[in-house]
Amino acid sequence: MNIYMIGVGGQGLVTVSNVIGAAATMRGVKALTSETHGLSQRGGSVDVHVRLGDVNSPLIPMGGADVVIAFELLEAFRAVPYMNNESTLIVNNRLIRPPTPRLKLPRADELLDKLRRFKSLNIVNAFDAAMKLGNPIVENMILLGAAHELGLSKLIDEEAIMQAIRDTMRMPDLNINAFLMGKSLARH
Amino acid sequence: MLGNHAIAQGFIEAGLAVAMGYPGTPSSEIMEYIMEESKKYGIYAEWSSNEKVALEGAYGAAMTGARAIATMKHVGLNVGMDPLMSSAYTGIEGGLVIVTADDPGMWSSQNEQDNRWVGMHAYIPVLEPYDPANAKDLAKISMEFSSRMRHPVLFRTVTRVSHTREAVEVCGNALPIFGSGIDRRQKRFALIPSNARKLRGELLDRWMKIGEAVEELPVTIRSGDDLLIVTSGSAFTYVLDSINELEVNPTVINLSVSVPIQRKKLLDLATRAKKIVVIEEGDPVIETQLKAALFDEGIRLPILGKSSFISPAGELTIDKVNAVIAGALGIQQPKKQRVDLGYEPPQRPPVFCPGCPHAASFYALKLASNTARAKPLFSGDIGCYSLGINLPFDEEDVLTDMGSSLGVGMGIYRGSGEKSFVVSVIGDSTYFHSGLPALANAIYNKTPLLLLVLDNRTTAMTGGQPNPTHSIPIEDTARGLGVKNVYSVDPFNIKETVNIMRRAIDDVKKGEVSVVVARRACALEAVKELKREGAKPLLYYVDDEACKACGICYNMIACPAIQPKDDGKAWIDPSMCSGCSVCAQVCPYDAIKPKGDASWLKKWGEAL
Repeated sequence: MNIYMIGVGGQGLVTVSNVIGAAATMRGVKALTSETHGLSQRGGSVDVHVRLGDVNSPLIPMGGADVVIAFELLEAFRAVPYMNNESTLIVNNRLIRPPTPRLKLPRADELLDKLRRFKSLNIVNAFDAAMKLGNPIVENMILLGAAHELGLSKLIDEEAIMQAIRDTMRMPDLNINAFLMGKSLARH
Repeated sequence: MLGNHAIAQGFIEAGLAVAMGYPGTPSSEIMEYIMEESKKYGIYAEWSSNEKVALEGAYGAAMTGARAIATMKHVGLNVGMDPLMSSAYTGIEGGLVIVTADDPGMWSSQNEQDNRWVGMHAYIPVLEPYDPANAKDLAKISMEFSSRMRHPVLFRTVTRVSHTREAVEVCGNALPIFGSGIDRRQKRFALIPSNARKLRGELLDRWMKIGEAVEELPVTIRSGDDLLIVTSGSAFTYVLDSINELEVNPTVINLSVSVPIQRKKLLDLATRAKKIVVIEEGDPVIETQLKAALFDEGIRLPILGKSSFISPAGELTIDKVNAVIAGALGIQQPKKQRVDLGYEPPQRPPVFCPGCPHAASFYALKLASNTARAKPLFSGDIGCYSLGINLPFDEEDVLTDMGSSLGVGMGIYRGSGEKSFVVSVIGDSTYFHSGLPALANAIYNKTPLLLLVLDNRTTAMTGGQPNPTHSIPIEDTARGLGVKNVYSVDPFNIKETVNIMRRAIDDVKKGEVSVVVARRACALEAVKELKREGAKPLLYYVDDEACKACGICYNMIACPAIQPKDDGKAWIDPSMCSGCSVCAQVCPYDAIKPKGDASWLKKWGEAL
């Protein structure tokens, strides 16, 4: 299973990939995750490739993503080359303006309309949900929950994910709550 | 486990005693892991002031019989070339492995040089891991090989090995193997010409022996038909997946040593092949050696690789490797659907973080040079402040290599017939890395320039490693070198910073060297530290009544926390604001106001 994640530096993509990696390893599923460091941390676009199962190489082929988690609306469009018609697309309903001065952007609803081309588009209000839990930082765990509900659960059970959160993260209770909230948001 | 952590673990398991390095993506996490573990095991680990110093340190340790490593990114090895070349001549007593983390694709680098060539140039064998688990094993093997041959070894990793995570089995550590010192009677390590001539002969003999000994190091062979694919490093993993995807059955050999190639094993397979494809990450290093070996043996075969068939530009991907293998076999690749949504999102380049002191410094520098009508040529350097090339700043005109802000800047001044007004912009870590000798040159040769040192108390771009600025005030070094005009400023005090920069510009107009040290801790690191200490935050907000929608705050400092609303008025995202106060100082209408604990800024001033 190939999971392609894309977002903006600082949104916690690498943390999500670490949790998936730890949970997969716990269940004896081979996991390879590949990330970019350095300059890309400074508010630029960041992507992480997560590959689960019988694979050797770290990068997802073009058109080869089974699940795409877009942590931001504009970034979702950069994931398109990795997608095919069957890919499950999970999009965080959040637009983060690139800080280029005087940049004109489409509205969020216009961007979402374009993404509806994908049958399996799932829009998640992860930022709002995270604020409801009292901390915007758990936005990433909400998205992980949604991704689990919509595909990842085929390979890794929810108990393994929760154990991986307990093993690898600070504030495990808050993060587990966010993960479960993401799952229930995706069910509705 | 992260690939770089696996590499570090491999060395620890091999009895590592001394580790030195200079941070650089994608290498930095190797040393960070060793530093974390070093206290437990009694390993000596340090961040050195540059790669040459790190490599010399590890080399010296290995002369005594210790097992030592030096870590750096690929371009760092250029800085360490001098001791590297000598280390092959003298050999070593213990073990010496130099880790070079290459960056194909230039994710965070100025070039994509392939340091396996350096191995050929320097007579140093090069080992290449293909994934994190293999990297741990191979790190151990490379240290043992170095000790056995008493010869340095290059360990070449790449971004996709260093920054990939997978499950890695950790074994117990070995006790660090330190040396006993150097016998002063033998002068093997003293490379005066008469010694060096003798050692040159010994080096060539040893290189022959190394060529034979690498045959005992691992290769992985997959038996198949008469197409032979030769790989090394991360290329191997793409080839394995590509074979599955294309459902083909070539013979594959993966070499753990790319310089010198494991020739016998390779020739054995080559004699049974009809065609050879060499797939490697970077340049045609294996391909070139293989062609020479086949020529020697009188074997003529079609060989496809990086020299003609595959572009050496950029990093390998599974799609590129699919195309190569399908092309070599003359078969069709599986067709992939492409989805087109008819919209290209705008680029999202990396930017200065909210509250980054560099943004404030560049803003002040622009104001100062405009009001002084200086029309500077901005000679930049390597670090987060490279981002000063972006709008609205546009204050990095040339930047090429570590320390180049001074060296190249001086050349521009001389080359332009002394007409250029040069402002060199350098960070604290880069200043200590290679700025010091260049500043000495400016003083000695009386080259007027303004040196702006952006001292954010850390090597920020590579993740916040410490550096000599913690114990050596940069102003003292400049004064010590003879600079008369040395100023310290806090870039969060915009007015004062502009005034001081104006004075410094006047110094340069008089034909002098002037140094301005702009000191404020990196926002990422400072905020982390202050939060840990429980400091109460300060946030800024826009008074909607007072805001006149002039756009100066969001257009001139480009802080990611400040965004324009539909009516053009500014809005500050409270989840991103770090309370630096710069926007409030820039606002001509006093519309940006603080909320929270005012002592935040003072504490930040003392952080790191």
